[in-house]
Amino acid sequence: MINFSSTARPAQRNTANPGKFRPGLLSALLAACMPLCALAKDAEPPRSIDVGSLPATVVDEVVIPMPTEVFGVLDKLGSPNWHEVMRPVKTETLGKRPQVALLLGATIAEGFIAVEAQEPEDVKKIGRQVLSLSKAIGVQKSVISRTSSIIEAADKKDWSTVRREFDGALKDVKQAMIELEDAQLAQLVSLGGWLRGTEALTQVVTKSYSKDGAELLHQPAILDYFQRRLDGLNPRLKENKAVRQIAQGLPELRPLIEPAGNITPQKVERIHAITADMVKTISSQD
Amino acid sequence: MKTILSFTLGLLVLLCTAHATVDDALSYALQAAHPYVKEGFTVREDYWGGDLPVKQQKAIVQQLFKGNEYWFWMGTDVANAKISVHVYDADGKLAEAEYWKNKPHMAAARVVPKVSGSYYLIVEIEKSPLERTHWALAYGFR
Repeated sequence: MINFSSTARPAQRNTANPGKFRPGLLSALLAACMPLCALAKDAEPPRSIDVGSLPATVVDEVVIPMPTEVFGVLDKLGSPNWHEVMRPVKTETLGKRPQVALLLGATIAEGFIAVEAQEPEDVKKIGRQVLSLSKAIGVQKSVISRTSSIIEAADKKDWSTVRREFDGALKDVKQAMIELEDAQLAQLVSLGGWLRGTEALTQVVTKSYSKDGAELLHQPAILDYFQRRLDGLNPRLKENKAVRQIAQGLPELRPLIEPAGNITPQKVERIHAITADMVKTISSQD
Repeated sequence: MKTILSFTLGLLVLLCTAHATVDDALSYALQAAHPYVKEGFTVREDYWGGDLPVKQQKAIVQQLFKGNEYWFWMGTDVANAKISVHVYDADGKLAEAEYWKNKPHMAAARVVPKVSGSYYLIVEIEKSPLERTHWALAYGFR
C-alpha cells in the first residue's frame, strides 16, 4: 500500500520574501530560483475559469451519483426512517425492454434504500430481483457474481460491501447493454435508478424539511443530461408508455430545482408527486 | 547485433504502447484511491477515461452534494507523464480544498462542496513522452 501522507496536503504557494535576502546574493539566488519559480507557477491551477467558454472539450457522459451519496447526507442531517421509505419488493418482471430497464434501475435504487434501513432479507430479495430483471433483458451473466456477493454480504450485514456490489451491478449491466449495442437501454437503467432515488429523497425531505436537505435536489447537470438522452432516444423506445410519461414530466422538474438555496417545501412536494408518479408507472403493468 | 537489439526494443515499446489502455490508467487511479478507503471513502465503480495529447484539457461536468467530501483520483499508465485534475464550481471558481500531482502515474484533488450542484473537473496531460496518453478518473466520497 502506498503512503500518501507526504503528498496528500494542500499545494504550497511560493511565499518567499526577497526582502529577507542579503543584497549581494539576491541576483544569484533569483537566477538559481528561476526554474523553481517557473515550476511553482506551472503547478498552480488558475483561480477561476470561464465556464461559458471552457478551455477544454466537455465529456458528454455524466456519472450519475449513487443514491448513497445523497442518502448519506440525509443521514448526517437527521435520522430518516428508511423503513418508511422502503417499498415491497415485486418479484414479477413487467413490460417490455424499456420498462424492464427502467425497473432494473429503480430496483437497484431500492437496494440502496434497503441498505439504509439495514434490512438483510429485503436486500437479498432485491438482489435476486436484480438478477431476474437482468435476465429479462439478456444481461444476467454480467451480474451473477455481483448478486451472489450482495446476498452473501447481506447475510453478514456487511453494508459497505452490499453498497459497492449494487453500484457495481449497475455499472456492469449498463456495460453489458452497451456491448450488446443497447446503450440507450443502459441510459434508461440510470434514469430509473435516479427517479426512485429522487422520489425517496423528496419523501424524506418532505417529512422533515430543511434547506440543506432540499438543496440536494439541485441537480441541473443530471436533469439536463437525462433530457438530452431522452430527446435522442430511438422512436421505438419513445413509444413506451413509461418512457413517454417520463419524457413529458422531466421538463416540469427543471424549474423546481432552482435556485440551489431556495428549494421550498412546496417545490419538494411537487417534485415528489412527479417522481412518485413516474416510479409508479415504471412499476405497473404496461 | 546492435541493430537487432534496437529493433527489438523499439518493437517492445510499440507493443507496450498498443497494449496500454484506459484500464491500466484506471488501475493507477484506484491505487491512488486505496489509502482513502481506510479513511471511510466509498469509491465509485463508474469512472471516466480516454486519451489526450499533451497540454489538451478535458472537462467533465459532475454533480456534487454539500455535506459530502470528495476525492477525485486521476491515473495514467505512462510513468514519466505529468497529469493533473482540478475542480471548479458552477461559477468557474477553483473549488478544491487541496490537490497533489507529484506522484508518478497519479494526481488527485479533494473537494468539500459549499453548495450542491454542478462542478467542472478539468483533467490535463501536462507532460508526456507519448503523442497521446491514456488517463482515467475515479472518485470517492464520504
